[in-house]
Amino acid sequence: MDEFQEILQDFLVEAFELIEQLDQDLVELESRPNDLELLNGIFRVAHTIKGASSFLNFDVLTHLTHHMEDVLNKARHGDLTITPEVMDVILESIDLMKTLLSTIRDTSADSGIDVSECVKRLDAVSSGQAVESVQDEAPATQEQAQEPVAEEVEEHEEEEDEIDYDSLSDEEIEEEIERLLAKRQAEDQAKRAAKTAGESNQETPKEEKPKEEKPKPAAQAPVPVAPRVAPKVERSDSEDAKAASPAKRAANTVEQTIRVDVKRLDHLMNLIGELVLAKNRLIKINDDVEERYEGEEFLEELTQVVSIVSLVTTDLQIAVMKTRMLPIGKVFNKFPRMIRDLTRELNKKMELEISGEDTELDKSIVEEIGDPLVHIIRNSCDHGIEMPADRLAQGKPEQGTIGLKAYNEGNAIVIQITDDGKGLDAELLKMKSLEKGLITEKEAELMTDKDAFSLIFKPGFSMAKVVTNVSGRGVGMDVVKTNIEKLNGIIDIDSEMGVGTSMKLKIPLTLAIIQALLVGVQEEHYAIPLASVLETVRISVDEIYTVENRSVMRLREEVLSLVHIGDIFEVKRVMESSEYTYVVVLGLGSSKLGLIVDTLIGQEEIVIKSLGEYLKGIEGIAGATIRGDGGVTLIVDVAALMHMAKGVKSTAFVEDNSSAVVKEKTKASDYIIMIVDDSKTDRTIMKKSLEPLGVTTVEAADGQEALNILKQGEHHFDAMLIDIEMPRMDGYTLATEIKKYNKYKTLPLIAVTSRTSKSDRMRGVESGMVEYITKPYSADYLASVVQRNVNFKAEFLQ
Amino acid sequence: MSDKLKEVINKQAKQNEVEMIHSDDVVQLVGFIIGDEEYAVPILTIQEIIKPIEWTRVPQTPAYVLGVFNLRGSVIPLIDLRLKFGLKAKKHNEDTRFFVLKQGDDVAGFVIDRLTMALRINRTNIGPAPETMAGDESLIDGVGKQEDRILTILKVNKLLERDF
Repeated sequence: MDEFQEILQDFLVEAFELIEQLDQDLVELESRPNDLELLNGIFRVAHTIKGASSFLNFDVLTHLTHHMEDVLNKARHGDLTITPEVMDVILESIDLMKTLLSTIRDTSADSGIDVSECVKRLDAVSSGQAVESVQDEAPATQEQAQEPVAEEVEEHEEEEDEIDYDSLSDEEIEEEIERLLAKRQAEDQAKRAAKTAGESNQETPKEEKPKEEKPKPAAQAPVPVAPRVAPKVERSDSEDAKAASPAKRAANTVEQTIRVDVKRLDHLMNLIGELVLAKNRLIKINDDVEERYEGEEFLEELTQVVSIVSLVTTDLQIAVMKTRMLPIGKVFNKFPRMIRDLTRELNKKMELEISGEDTELDKSIVEEIGDPLVHIIRNSCDHGIEMPADRLAQGKPEQGTIGLKAYNEGNAIVIQITDDGKGLDAELLKMKSLEKGLITEKEAELMTDKDAFSLIFKPGFSMAKVVTNVSGRGVGMDVVKTNIEKLNGIIDIDSEMGVGTSMKLKIPLTLAIIQALLVGVQEEHYAIPLASVLETVRISVDEIYTVENRSVMRLREEVLSLVHIGDIFEVKRVMESSEYTYVVVLGLGSSKLGLIVDTLIGQEEIVIKSLGEYLKGIEGIAGATIRGDGGVTLIVDVAALMHMAKGVKSTAFVEDNSSAVVKEKTKASDYIIMIVDDSKTDRTIMKKSLEPLGVTTVEAADGQEALNILKQGEHHFDAMLIDIEMPRMDGYTLATEIKKYNKYKTLPLIAVTSRTSKSDRMRGVESGMVEYITKPYSADYLASVVQRNVNFKAEFLQ
Repeated sequence: MSDKLKEVINKQAKQNEVEMIHSDDVVQLVGFIIGDEEYAVPILTIQEIIKPIEWTRVPQTPAYVLGVFNLRGSVIPLIDLRLKFGLKAKKHNEDTRFFVLKQGDDVAGFVIDRLTMALRINRTNIGPAPETMAGDESLIDGVGKQEDRILTILKVNKLLERDF
């Protein structure tokens, strides 16, 4: 049973591959009905499937393919000309064959589908137009079954091939098999004898091989149900079929490939994702270690290992990604057939021009891209291309052209669908959307033509007056948009009235791992897909202008509109914004946007993880990734961000004035001084020194506590006295942290310490301290320093 | 020999049956405190309970969605049940825990004030949710009584459902 399943699986994979090719060949055949090679190829496919299915006992499928074969065979011998009507029947039967194969795949049986209708039609075509008298079916099949096998075997097996199996009765065939088997046994025996005779002779086994192979096909060829026949024939057929394809692959190249279950590749890809994360973490740890043990010998070795691991991981990732790549031709293949069907259905004349079908992209994308393309192409056929008469009247060629083109652009693949039809009418689109209540009048007024074109993607939008089989339900283009967005792709429409429409789908090469630019805003980090980053610039705040409530800047000769990432993601502005800021110039299609960020952290390879069902679809966020330090960083959805930017008002550089309002000091105790020292004694000494001034003091035992007190905002401090050496957070760090906040920019920080070296003083200044008092100090000195720094009013001095 | 074997098998089957009946009557829950109330969820819906770790804020979400955190390579949303239940935010302390609940493919972490205990409670001791709070939209599955305590049993599927 298992063996059967295995054979069945092989058969199905092979059959689907063959059929894919078949569609294309058949359409081509219609334009070149006399191409014998093409016909032979098609015939062989039908034949192969028939042979294999009869062996596997799929009677319905065998029945159907058998009749198809009949028709094709006649066409092959010139007894039947391929007219569009004949083609319709053939194509219909192929569709039926596909359904049957799908049923077999799902249920391992081909029952439940009625093929008699189709068979009848096939017979009608075959007999109705046949010039010769109808042959007896059985011998016809026999002959057909024989032929391809014979072709293959011919070259090295002429002698045996001359036997005409068709003329033999069943008994005779049995006899023939017996004879051949006997012959083979004799050969085997001879071989064995030779082997024992010349064990040491290296040449013998080489000679054996061809001998062993030879009788096999001959022995089995006459029996169509013999197990080995099917695979044998299939192989030759698939190669022939490929040779006949327009791609014109070399006929004799041996394909060195193996089939791998996609699940295994997916699993591999997931593992690589984890490895990339681990690599990032390793790099981060290496950096930390480097900082700490600078100059140590083992460090060099560690760095070496880390860089090798990182290099190999990157290579590995690329390699695995490549294994998942498929040529987009796999998707494109089905469109010639579709166009052909639509041509007849819509009574229009159209042709499809495909280019770049060798462009490769990730398998998961190939699978997702099929449906949107179907919708777009149907749309072009139905709404784009005019009726032949109209086209002639407009001076266009009678036959409309639909172009399907794929090419690489940076880290993305672009699929372009063009038609030379009537183009989109922006005004009409707006009107229709208004009618259907999809947009308001005001929105319509403000819309550019390009915006109007995008209306076709709105759910519920339809231009068709009547719902036809082809379109008019207002679902199709919505599906396109959702599917493309799911792939992080971008759609760009261009259209000119009377000339045609061009639709560009830009899709990232792979979904799982991307290069990203990490940026910081306040205390948060975000990752921006590098594919959408055009450049980064550092500008001074003065270079930002405000026009109609929007920030803009001049970038070379262009005016670039700006938006602060903090405004979009509602980041609380607690830290000081510096004089200089960074602008990440984002580009999507033709639109550009400058994103203001506080810091640029760097470029990193990130693995995209979904936010899960609970948080999916948050505007502006495409997913999350795990960073080297184990934290989660959100990934910016550039397309959504650009959209959101339109509605955001600039607040980035509006100064927060609330902190500027300082209460008027009316008495000495209005001055509040914080004393930060881990020693209780020292705190008391400071407190005592300040007592004569009559100011209020607040104490903190270390930097962390001091920072917390500050953040709570209960008091408005006028100065801080800070010890340097403290547990948890030292004075320098505390000062640096405090200076990050906007509102404490002017808060005087006074170091009170026993550290006296010059470098200590330097660090103090660097971290933002204004005064440096060394212990021991006199009480008066401390008081005077504080007085000076808080602008202590003289009248409060007693 | 085979008789003996049969006997053993029969015995085991009977035992299993008894246990089945037994477990049908008893619900296993884990209790926790939010604010002043004790709540509980079925023990099998809990993937794990961890101490608070760092999380990342996610914009455009209600206040009770704190953000996402990294649980051994998975990105999981974090929801503060205090805020969700309309209580004031509280600083995380030693007792604070993240409850990672899972149902089907839906996973989320929930911040709770304090864990109480795992308990077995008889089905007969679980009453329906108060009528004013019942219904499909309610988070409350029922009210369990054991000795002198009252537990509000929460619907995990509702907790894991996005409601914004």
